[in-house]
Amino acid sequence: MTDTFERMSAILIKDYKLSADQLTPEAPLEGLGIDSLGTVELLWSIEDVFKIKVPTEPVPLATLGDVAIYVDQLIAEQGAAAAATPDAPSA
Amino acid sequence: MRRVAVTGIGVISPLGNGTSELWDAARAGRSGVRRLDMPFASRLSAPIGAIATFDDSAGLDAAKARMLDRFSLMALASANQAVQASHGALADVERARAGVFVGTGMGGTLSMDNGYQTLYGEQSDRIKPFTVLMGMHNAAAAWIGIEHGLHGPNMTYSTACSSSTVAIGEAWLRVAHGELDVAIAGGAEAPLSPGSLKAWEALHTVATMDADDPTASCRPFSKNRSGMVLGEGAAMLVIEPRDRALARGAPILGEILGYGQSNDATHITRPSVEGQAAAMLAALGAANVNRDAVDAINAHGTGTLANDKAETAAIRAVFGARAGQIPISATKAMHAHLLGAAGALECVLTLLAMTHRVALPTMHLQQPDPECDLDYVANQARDGVAAQVMLSNSFAFGGTNAVLVLGAAA
Repeated sequence: MTDTFERMSAILIKDYKLSADQLTPEAPLEGLGIDSLGTVELLWSIEDVFKIKVPTEPVPLATLGDVAIYVDQLIAEQGAAAAATPDAPSA
Repeated sequence: MRRVAVTGIGVISPLGNGTSELWDAARAGRSGVRRLDMPFASRLSAPIGAIATFDDSAGLDAAKARMLDRFSLMALASANQAVQASHGALADVERARAGVFVGTGMGGTLSMDNGYQTLYGEQSDRIKPFTVLMGMHNAAAAWIGIEHGLHGPNMTYSTACSSSTVAIGEAWLRVAHGELDVAIAGGAEAPLSPGSLKAWEALHTVATMDADDPTASCRPFSKNRSGMVLGEGAAMLVIEPRDRALARGAPILGEILGYGQSNDATHITRPSVEGQAAAMLAALGAANVNRDAVDAINAHGTGTLANDKAETAAIRAVFGARAGQIPISATKAMHAHLLGAAGALECVLTLLAMTHRVALPTMHLQQPDPECDLDYVANQARDGVAAQVMLSNSFAFGGTNAVLVLGAAA
């Protein structure tokens, strides 16, 4: 279980009233009551917690694991970008 | 025309949730108006309002509930109650012949206010992605349709303070004319946002806070009135043809006999005696009920001088010499003004008043007003009244007046 997945799970337990045993990387988002529109809103919450900017272009995300990989990828890209341009806003 | 029965009622209100809590509070003359204690209350000249407390999941899982503004959650929670109470009104209905009719004045104003706070207050561009879906006026009706699988007309009416009386009336028309077999009809309002409260304050229609007893700040028909108090809540009815209800052995909680409307076409806020009287007469005409058969009236009764004087004169104009003998209840003194949901809540209170044969009290009527000289059932409920036919009046900024004629179950 990665740190990203743990932090995402904390959001889902607190704000979506989901239980920890429902939250596995294989869990389909639809099965947790999060459809494509709900995913947009989840990513909005994730932006706050992870201090990243999620691009507006939609990305196909089917499972919690997909979201965690996508978030890690954004952290890697934007962490590098922020390091390269220290004056850039962080969120 | 088919006779139309009410077979389910749901309520989320400052006087409690469900018909039992609502009735007990209203019968006893309890007030749901409170001193507000949220952080922005210190910026209000009169920090008073009437808050509804309820299970704000409305039976939805949390991921879905995040998509609903408070007014939609209250609408859905009260619709669920009404459907439950109807003993299966939706069980065998043809889904295309079941509709939803909701009135709301301000829709998802809390969500819009939150968005503006983010944008202008916090100078952030991060508006919640659901803001449009939460803010739109038709969200409440849409969610009721989605959750109950109703494919008939899904309508939202926004005529300010008469919105839900219009919604119930328009639903009645469709059911009475045979276009629909069931309708969920009522109203919902959640207007206690900083922006909304300040806007109402700026209009100089809001009551000053009673320093000794904030719960008594709304005083309709009392000479020392000072204005209206804003409240939140929702009330929904299940209505269907009376014959259908009888055939399935459903409880009949009352009948909708008729509904009438008029438009003042004079001034955006100032009420018109002629317009209000015309709406009452139109409703009686639609119901084919003689004015002498009206046993009692739930007044619009906001507690503003303009309303109280005009409504008194309009009732006099319609009922003539008999006006003084008709018990008139201004229940907003207790539950406050739920704006677009007010008419539906008052319709429910009127149905319950007929069931119990009680004229509900106009509370806080401390000083009789010579200009308002009718029987307002001051400060104490009256038992054993005639209760076969009652009116529920709703008059609105903009001039859309709407009146329901309601009949006892028997």
